[in-house]
Amino acid sequence: MSQTEYAVQVASSADVSLIDCDVHNYPNSIDDLMPYLSARWQAYVRQSGFSGPPGPTYPKGFAQAARRDAWPPSGLRPGGDPDFARTQLLDAWDIDIAVLNPLYGMTALHNLDFANALMRAVNEWTAHAWLDHDPRWRGSIVVNASDPAAAAEEIKRAAADSRFVQVLLLVRSSAPYGKRQFRPIFAAACEVGLPVGIHFGGSGQPITACGWPSYYIEDHTAMSQAFEAQVVSLVCEGVFCEFPELRVALVEGGFAWLPGLMWRLDKNYRGLRSEVPWLKKRPSEYIREHCRATTQPMEEPDDPQHLLQIIDMIGGEDFLMFATDYPHWDFDSPARALPPAIDGAMRRGIMVDNAEAFYGFAAR
Amino acid sequence: MALRRVDVGPVAAFADGEVRRVEVEGRGLAIVRQGDAWYALRDVCPHQGARLSDGRVGGTALARHPGDEIVLGRAGEILSCPWHGWEYDVRTGRSLCEPEKVRVRTYPVLVEDSRVLVEMD
Repeated sequence: MSQTEYAVQVASSADVSLIDCDVHNYPNSIDDLMPYLSARWQAYVRQSGFSGPPGPTYPKGFAQAARRDAWPPSGLRPGGDPDFARTQLLDAWDIDIAVLNPLYGMTALHNLDFANALMRAVNEWTAHAWLDHDPRWRGSIVVNASDPAAAAEEIKRAAADSRFVQVLLLVRSSAPYGKRQFRPIFAAACEVGLPVGIHFGGSGQPITACGWPSYYIEDHTAMSQAFEAQVVSLVCEGVFCEFPELRVALVEGGFAWLPGLMWRLDKNYRGLRSEVPWLKKRPSEYIREHCRATTQPMEEPDDPQHLLQIIDMIGGEDFLMFATDYPHWDFDSPARALPPAIDGAMRRGIMVDNAEAFYGFAAR
Repeated sequence: MALRRVDVGPVAAFADGEVRRVEVEGRGLAIVRQGDAWYALRDVCPHQGARLSDGRVGGTALARHPGDEIVLGRAGEILSCPWHGWEYDVRTGRSLCEPEKVRVRTYPVLVEDSRVLVEMD
């Protein structure tokens, strides 16, 4: 597939000092998307008064889940003002590359055609409102996971713009992503050479396997359950066997749960392999080979050495990629999120090299 | 140490296609017979010590790709542990999941004058 050549400001990898793998841009309202909807869907939005997909059922700790200081003076919403985000994030922290993950829940809409129109609109809006705004932004292609065939078409369309660097799925899906119905999404991502990012959030199921908890603190903490379920599904259903080149970023799901999951899955594989005979090696090896995780929200054990042990248990210094989650309230500071115990090549890897390799920034 | 041949019983004592435990000087062996083919494995699963002779001799599920029909293949070649189901190739003692790391010791078996002999050190 031919890609739009795009001038990247950074000349070489040595010039890159910080990559942020999780930043959120939001349409301020449906009006931001209207220019990218057809006359039919514009009329539908006006007629119905549609203002956006359903919002979170847990009131967040802060309005719009945003840092209190992330409300732009322009009156736009946090993550809705590219100029302000540039100043407050990119310039303030001297970030060279930031991956935008628009959290637009069109997958929750039951009208597939409308959801697909919004999917395309969000991607076109990201390209024009954000990627055109500053060369340090990179985009994620949002897809309607409820219509994998349409999602695949959109991936192929949007990926022609090389500033889009991944396909974005939300972790709380209607079914685990390893199920065969989702294969067209992974096939399309591999066809265009993009990784798939699976991000915190979504709407398909309760966050816990025992139903809906009461509080946002539970929702936020238990999100790792959903990530575990997705990783187990992708491995066991053979997605990585079918797509040996597929790469998956676990975004905003934490990572300290990974060693235990790897051990449990490997152990069960030894006794239950016959259920999933397409697996040719231990599940943990597929995870290490195909998956990466972003850091935010950093797990913060009392003893920072324990963090190093966790990273060692995961088994790859190249596994973690730094992320701030700007403009959200649980933002991780590039200066303070990683404890001093993470230093030298490991720190450089997490802050720059691992993301550069995963997203192929150096080659772009 | 020189190998010696230990008589573990008459051929007729071993049912075709099954596994049976014999003890040699306190050491347990799982003897597997497949027609005229004989195998002997140490009768201890390296995982948690179950007797493999309490397990099942059979085949295993095979599929090349996700979505392929899963077929039962390698009939009679697999000994699975009675506790956690770990699978071993009776010919080599190697586990199917981690053949390089998890394996059971095997011993050569031969039949002379309708007696089953195991070569041990």
